[in-house]
Amino acid sequence: MASSQSNIHSESAKIEQIITEFFTKSLHIILESRSPCVSSRNYSGEQILSSPSSSSSSSSSVKPRDKWFNLALRVCPSALENIDLWRQSNQEPMVVDVILIQRPTDLDPVRCSPRRGLARNYSLKERFRNCWNPGQEEYPSEVKREKIIERWIVQYESRKSRDSSSGGKRTGSTSSHSLYKKSIILLRSLYVTVRLLPAYKLFRDLNSSGQIHTFNLDHRVCSFVEPFTRREEAEMQQFGFMPIDTNGGRLSLSVLYHPKLSDVNLESSTPISTQLIPDYVGSPMTDPLKRFPSLPVTTHVSPSSAPFCRRHSWSYDLYGASAPSASPSPSPTYSDSRGFPSNMTSNRLPPTSSPHHPPETPLSSNTSLAHNKNTSFDEYWPSPTFSPSPSPSPPTHVPGDHLSKALLRSESAPVSISAAKLGGSPGLPTTHMLPPSPSLKGTRPGLQIDNVRAPARPADVQTCITAQKILYAGRDEVGNLSGAKISSNSSPRISFSRSSSRLSFQDEFDGSDFACPFAVDDDDLMDLHTRPESFDGKRLLSEPLEPGGLFPIRKSQDAAVGSLVRMLKTAPPLHHDSNSFKLSRASEPENRSKSTKEAEETSDLEVKEVQNTASCSSFTSSRLLMSKTTADALEELQGYREIKELLLRQSSRSQTVANDAHVAQSVSGDTK
Amino acid sequence: MNCEVCQLKELEVEHFEIREVLRCILHTIVFHRALGLVRPKDIDSELFEITYVQCGDAELEKKIEEKIDQFIGWVEKHPNKKSQICLSFYEVKNKQATWFSNKTERLYWEQWYINLNVAQQPKAHFAKSHHSKVVVDPGECALVERSVRRAALEAALREVLFQIIKFVNEKRDHIPPVPNVEGVSFPYEITIPSSSDSSFGMDVIKRMLQTGHPTMLS
Repeated sequence: MASSQSNIHSESAKIEQIITEFFTKSLHIILESRSPCVSSRNYSGEQILSSPSSSSSSSSSVKPRDKWFNLALRVCPSALENIDLWRQSNQEPMVVDVILIQRPTDLDPVRCSPRRGLARNYSLKERFRNCWNPGQEEYPSEVKREKIIERWIVQYESRKSRDSSSGGKRTGSTSSHSLYKKSIILLRSLYVTVRLLPAYKLFRDLNSSGQIHTFNLDHRVCSFVEPFTRREEAEMQQFGFMPIDTNGGRLSLSVLYHPKLSDVNLESSTPISTQLIPDYVGSPMTDPLKRFPSLPVTTHVSPSSAPFCRRHSWSYDLYGASAPSASPSPSPTYSDSRGFPSNMTSNRLPPTSSPHHPPETPLSSNTSLAHNKNTSFDEYWPSPTFSPSPSPSPPTHVPGDHLSKALLRSESAPVSISAAKLGGSPGLPTTHMLPPSPSLKGTRPGLQIDNVRAPARPADVQTCITAQKILYAGRDEVGNLSGAKISSNSSPRISFSRSSSRLSFQDEFDGSDFACPFAVDDDDLMDLHTRPESFDGKRLLSEPLEPGGLFPIRKSQDAAVGSLVRMLKTAPPLHHDSNSFKLSRASEPENRSKSTKEAEETSDLEVKEVQNTASCSSFTSSRLLMSKTTADALEELQGYREIKELLLRQSSRSQTVANDAHVAQSVSGDTK
Repeated sequence: MNCEVCQLKELEVEHFEIREVLRCILHTIVFHRALGLVRPKDIDSELFEITYVQCGDAELEKKIEEKIDQFIGWVEKHPNKKSQICLSFYEVKNKQATWFSNKTERLYWEQWYINLNVAQQPKAHFAKSHHSKVVVDPGECALVERSVRRAALEAALREVLFQIIKFVNEKRDHIPPVPNVEGVSFPYEITIPSSSDSSFGMDVIKRMLQTGHPTMLS
């Protein structure tokens, strides 16, 4: 095109600006499809608002940056921040290294997962820093392999520094207009190329949610080239875009890349996935999730802590709290997310390992668990984070494999729970479950359950969630964990009553109400510990619940612990058959049976509507229990919860039903 | 202005792959020639491990799909033939005064020839593919063989896309001033072989140019 040599100054200024923007834009393009934290595919936080969908196309408003080169990109704060540094001088090259970080494949996937969560959190909060100095902080102690898989070099050589010759192409200088047009094309090419190179596949895999990867991508931006070793260089291929000549110099863009990355990808991802899969597949947890897809959101909200949410989403939101599913020990994940890493992990880690090992005697385990819980609560409650709940469960040196599994998975995998409940007799789970249910409904168990749930609800309330949502969320949380257990225990009726109680309770529920019951429970804790039988089962139930439900309420920590202990004590033995269900009821203390009955009645009376909704889940769960152990266990847990809620509600509301009074009495008597 | 012509490397495709291959190629080319404001849209190919970029222009997408349909129709009528699709960019002479008149003249400044060699397949499998969906033929072919072939095609397609990128970057001086600030900036045209074998070629294109309306202004 016509070269405007007349206005050299203005021209050069324009060119200068174009080049500056070119640096910015090219960095933006590269990072957008290489940096997981920045990428459009992985929007989070504010970015989501601006452009949720994959490509920049989603955002309708045109921003000043978008107009440059007529290429509208997604919001990419980190990239832009970095770019500003480059503006100071166009003379320096911009080198963008894309780094593949591989974790050792032999690492325990469980351990990896929490860290990954951390890393992500990091990246979100500190994108800027991350961009410049990616990997280092994320995996501090771990052995990691870093490898530069791409090196992008954007460079503007001014003619002065370069020799007079303009490289081989036409010497004729380019006007700013022409430069602009050419750089538009060059950036379009860059945009396409970035997506064609093998590293893009890694990036895509990283951003596909729900997968654990043994690798991560990082990037480094600097103004100098850190030379490769010969071997490294031999592995790389170069792709150079045709440089653009201008009046004052030449603008060039090139990339060195690893042509073969597919191997890396496959290796890393496969092992982990296989390990994880077993837990999820067929586990009751998955089903519950599907049932209540909406729930996860609410649960996430309650935690309120960003990391927490992330974590959930990553592992599957609903269980997020419990989500550690991926990781054997839920606690570690929590600790990480909440920032208690050191303490939490230390406490929690042992449990994870222990669970796998042969079980201890139930009694000892129970007691230890209870103690741990108490301690954990005290310590952690003060802090808003969930840590308390996880810690208690993990610490459980859970005697049996079942317990340990249950604990570990408790959050994530229902199956484990069921096994735990089954304890001695795996085949009889349903029957075992049944006996406990009456007790739960009865006096204390109900309360305990309520307590457990109650904390969760209050938190939800705090988060401004509507009562209904809270209830649902509670269900989900509890449901997965407790649902199976409860369902097995309870006959359909029971489940109804529980459900109804929950609902009603939740609606009415206020934070203040809960505190009282919990306080009462605290005293009882010691007693609970002494009771071995029900304890195991109850514990299991309670523990899984804890993470989700307890954390929010600080007030009633002790009370909650007490309630949990009670639950455990009162919980019917897992070993009993369904047939024995009635028998077990009879055998159990009168109070319990009465209370259960009463609860049922009251619930029926008060909340028929609620029953319908709640009952559906309970019913299904109960039926399932017969055939499925884990699912049953979960359902049972739910049933327990419901019972608790009912009891709590009733206790709180003495007004409603005469039955309530009875129940309360029975409960109080038990506690005392 | 001279007309730059790019002959893209020939691809061996099966019938059901035509659509995806053409999508990748056509959109990639147009994206490079859409010098107006564009919000790129990443598209993961349904068939290949390839992510290509669209301009986010619904009109353009529609047009491309139409042309692909036409082409597939033609292929079905003319099995076992090498076929060619031409994407050309042109300028309209006297565009200010006679933009919409039939007498406007098109000056072609760039042409892309996409060369496909469609392997013959039993028609049953792909009988009629829908616009949006790629018809995957269950096929009786050995899966292994198929996967190998697919991988080869994918690599070749990737190569073609790089060929586009290279060409676009090497030939930059023939591009006329950008008439449109919005999206797809240059008028373009996609030509497929017509029913008569001889009809496809520059002559035909020129004839069409004389009478045709500018296909796309925006």
